[in-house]
Amino acid sequence: MADKTIQLKIKRQPNPEVAAYWEDFELPWRPNMNVISVLMELAMLAKTKDGKPTTPITYDSNCLEEVCGSCAMLINGKAHMACSALIDDLEQPIKLEPLSKFPIVRDLAVDRKVLFENLKRVKAWIPIDGTYDLGPGPRQSEAQQNEEYPYSRCISCTCCMEVCPQFNEDTGFVGAATIAQVLLFNLNPTGQMQAPERLRALMGDGGIHECGYAQNCVEICPKDIPLTKAIATVGRAVVGQAVKDLFTT
Amino acid sequence: MASRVSPQPETHTIAAGVAPLRAGQGHSFLLRRLHSLSGIVPVGAFLVEHILVSNATAMNGPEAYANQVKFLASLPMVLFLEAFGIWLPILFHALYGFYIWYRGDGNTISYPWQGNWMYTLQRWTGLIAFAYIGWHVWHLRFAGIDLHAHPGASFGKVQSEFAVAWQLAFYVVGLLAASWHFAYGIWLFCAKWGITVGERARQRFLVVCMVIFFTISAVGLLSIRSFLTTPRQPADASAGELHAKPAPPTAPVDKK
Ligand code: SF4
Ligand code: SF4
Ligand code: FES
Repeated sequence: MADKTIQLKIKRQPNPEVAAYWEDFELPWRPNMNVISVLMELAMLAKTKDGKPTTPITYDSNCLEEVCGSCAMLINGKAHMACSALIDDLEQPIKLEPLSKFPIVRDLAVDRKVLFENLKRVKAWIPIDGTYDLGPGPRQSEAQQNEEYPYSRCISCTCCMEVCPQFNEDTGFVGAATIAQVLLFNLNPTGQMQAPERLRALMGDGGIHECGYAQNCVEICPKDIPLTKAIATVGRAVVGQAVKDLFTT
Repeated sequence: MASRVSPQPETHTIAAGVAPLRAGQGHSFLLRRLHSLSGIVPVGAFLVEHILVSNATAMNGPEAYANQVKFLASLPMVLFLEAFGIWLPILFHALYGFYIWYRGDGNTISYPWQGNWMYTLQRWTGLIAFAYIGWHVWHLRFAGIDLHAHPGASFGKVQSEFAVAWQLAFYVVGLLAASWHFAYGIWLFCAKWGITVGERARQRFLVVCMVIFFTISAVGLLSIRSFLTTPRQPADASAGELHAKPAPPTAPVDKK
């Protein structure tokens, strides 16, 4: 029992210019570990399985409770949040790789800037700054709040984009998360004022129409956001906006 | 990873990786929506007519089938209708579909979920249906006896197609692929255009689309069976003459 161990295979890449390679790791099992706590242990250990000294593994993480969205990686080949991936649920040796569709920074850390760029392009915010006090926004019914709430839980982890067959360098598809945020801000009574702009942005190349409705996004989303519902709802609104623009602009 | 001490100008662009949304640029939205629409009308509508209306007449015997072919051939500007109502839309739908397929990265191995399998299946059934349709149109419409001039030879010509085992198999596979591609295509259309917005609505509609698939397949297969169970009909120009006049009854006429 005391000899129970955790076996890992981790993809290492010191910088984007050099080729990646695998390293094997082993450490003693303890109860209730997750992938991030194992990576912390490995940083202290700084040795591969065969005792060779190695550098600590680079990865992103922050909240350790699946709310910051920074720790997404491929765990046994599937996108998952490392902090909520419990060791006892995983088949060993546990394979850790960086997300495959984002530029590598180092080891398990990738640059997911494209999501933030996309959120900017659809104006995923509510403009309330001005030269005078705009006063409080309109009251929202409870039903309305309940409709909006699920979309507000997005943690920008990019898992939905990683698993999407349409999200790649050829399509430059915007991905499900940004579409869901368009819905969130278009549902908001104040945010509604910019709804046409957000919908028009999604008509550009790489927009909502690139979705092939494979529905992987909704399967993987760690926050259970109804992404396919968001895509269908926004899809209808985008077509409506396109038809409206055809006759009024 | 940027240093906080030396404020460098923001020159770091995404070197590799997926480009952000090109808001306000390009025509892909229009093309994708046309692609989606063309699968329903005219291509899907034609499929329904072809299988559920025209081919189904084969179940009423060679006579009825020949009359349907004669009626279709007599439509005004039939070549124009065929070219702009059927062939060009199918060609656009297929070629643009291949382009979409080429740019996507199927990942059913890593993520073997139902929707993902359907995504992949939609591409393969499209390819099979397109290959089949190309061969079918060339073989039946252009090669051999011209059925527009000799509608009476239609039944026999189809029978001679089915006489070759691999051709019969290709007809069956082509039928199933096309009707699946169409049925799931309706489901995709309604999801993407925001007709079935809710999860439950989409699940219910999937059942409707499966019924559509089974209906089209069943009628198609029963039509194929009629060709196989009816004795061989002539498939040359003489048969065309035969049916041009009121044809001799093949079954005893009800006299009252
Ligand atoms: S439904 Fe499929 S294609 Fe569309 S965003 Fe989600 S994973 Fe991508
Ligand atoms: S929608 Fe879900 S999977 Fe996508 S970034 Fe947000 S939380 Fe992550
Ligand atoms: S560390 Fe914040 S989501 Fe995992």
